[in-house]
Amino acid sequence: MKRLETEDTTVTRRKIGIAEYAVVTDETALVTSGLGSCLGIVLFDSRNTVSGLIHVMLPSVDQARDSNPAKFVDTGLPLLIDEMEAAGADVDRLQAWIVGGSEMLNFESSTESIGSRNIAMAEQLLDDHGIPLVDADIGGGHGRSIRFDPAAEAVTIRTADDSSRTI
Amino acid sequence: MKVDIRELGQFNHLASQGAQRAARSLSQLTGVQMDVEVTDVSLVTENVLAETFTGQSFVGVELGLEGGLEGETVLAFERERALKLQDLLLEATGSSDELAQSSVTELGNIMIGGFIDGWANHLGKAINMTPPKYTEAVGPRILPDQAIEAAKNHGVFLFESKLEAMDVDLDFSIYMLPEYRQFVDLLSGTDSGNQIPVNRLSAFEDLAKEGAGNAAGQIGMMTGLDTDVDISRLRFVPLEGVPRQVGDDRFVGVVFELKGMPSGYLVVLFDEQSAKTVASSMMPGGSSEEEGIGTMTEGAIKELGNIMTSGFIDGWANVLGTSIEHTPPNFVHDMGSAIMSPVVGKLGKQQDYAFVIDSTIEIDGHQGRCDIYALPNERELARALSALPAQT
Repeated sequence: MKRLETEDTTVTRRKIGIAEYAVVTDETALVTSGLGSCLGIVLFDSRNTVSGLIHVMLPSVDQARDSNPAKFVDTGLPLLIDEMEAAGADVDRLQAWIVGGSEMLNFESSTESIGSRNIAMAEQLLDDHGIPLVDADIGGGHGRSIRFDPAAEAVTIRTADDSSRTI
Repeated sequence: MKVDIRELGQFNHLASQGAQRAARSLSQLTGVQMDVEVTDVSLVTENVLAETFTGQSFVGVELGLEGGLEGETVLAFERERALKLQDLLLEATGSSDELAQSSVTELGNIMIGGFIDGWANHLGKAINMTPPKYTEAVGPRILPDQAIEAAKNHGVFLFESKLEAMDVDLDFSIYMLPEYRQFVDLLSGTDSGNQIPVNRLSAFEDLAKEGAGNAAGQIGMMTGLDTDVDISRLRFVPLEGVPRQVGDDRFVGVVFELKGMPSGYLVVLFDEQSAKTVASSMMPGGSSEEEGIGTMTEGAIKELGNIMTSGFIDGWANVLGTSIEHTPPNFVHDMGSAIMSPVVGKLGKQQDYAFVIDSTIEIDGHQGRCDIYALPNERELARALSALPAQT
């Protein structure tokens, strides 16, 4: 059932699931799939080669009773920053990419979509932390899978129709 | 006998952490990077065991548990993957075939040890493991006899953690089947929690099966194709595990929001080829000129999805004595995991785990398939089931 990655497999990859994150200090590529309304946030310090990726589900912990901080933008992003600092990153050198936050479904009962609220929360928090956004591939109505290559300092986005772009 | 949903969540969490520890030991021993895909727990009957394991040939390592937690654990590989593992161990250790086989057993021992490590802590009681046993079997016989016997009588709790290797086809599962009575006691929790009487969990499972049967019947009626419910299970999964379970393949389908008691979501997914087959069969003359997935397929899938969903939830409303309605269909054509992400996002505001009713319908023999996922609001489902009269 699972589609195998078609990219170069000589580079090690680390797979990150929903409500998970990873921090690496080498050229390990960080990948996550199935970004619908969820948001993938990549942070990178190129000087110290520290990369982080988190796959968050909801904008704010306030809306839920859960204790897993990696599930939410407002607790997940600070967590990722802390972990990257602990791995040797300099917060002032971090730069970011955000991908996802699409509106997959449209129900009458919902007001603003989860996707757009995830995006808004991430943009605001990145701004608060003074982390510049390199690029973003957000919104729309389709799903995305992403791969961050520290060596290329780029995020490759793939969609279900097998088209891909790099930002 | 009642099951506290929080306790069930706690045990699922332990199993999931245990599976991660087991994955790490395997990575260290073989050099292959392993990931835990998902951990779920379901109360299964003999039939479900048969459906789940049928036709596959397994190699397993079996260990009994005694003390704070009684029951059986099995590490089960499909045969060809077990051979692959033996090769990897041979490479890693440079030993003989025979040694490789015993190292599979030893590996099982280490992994299951890691798997149950956190449980003893949680229970505050020691758990002893019996010596590992290397087994080979076809179908559900890979599971211990006691577990199959228990499934016949009152059902058995089946924990399943799926592990997946990064670049090698080495996927396998760790199963844990705790002894029924002791485990139900452990799950009873406090009176204040969200509780479901344990016998109604299986009643609900029957209901889900009936719903899937209705939905399959609707496909048959609308398309003239033979349909059959292949598997239907009520799983208890961490919400974030749901998209992983559906996977990254591209699907065509519809998503409905359910309103009433319980509320929730219902998702009907076809692989692209099955969607085209079904849509063509619904056209006058039974064929279509459409290239790819276009408006014609969309219309057909929406119409079919509507009817299937009504059939699926009708039974619930009858048995629960409540009324449940559904929204118009939301058409989707995308990665399965991405389709599920807003569904778990919406449920995630109220709950961390989900009861997922997961049914697979085979269409026209093995030609096509359709997956139905129903995700009711957990607290509302608990309330509705608890409110049923005692004799169900």
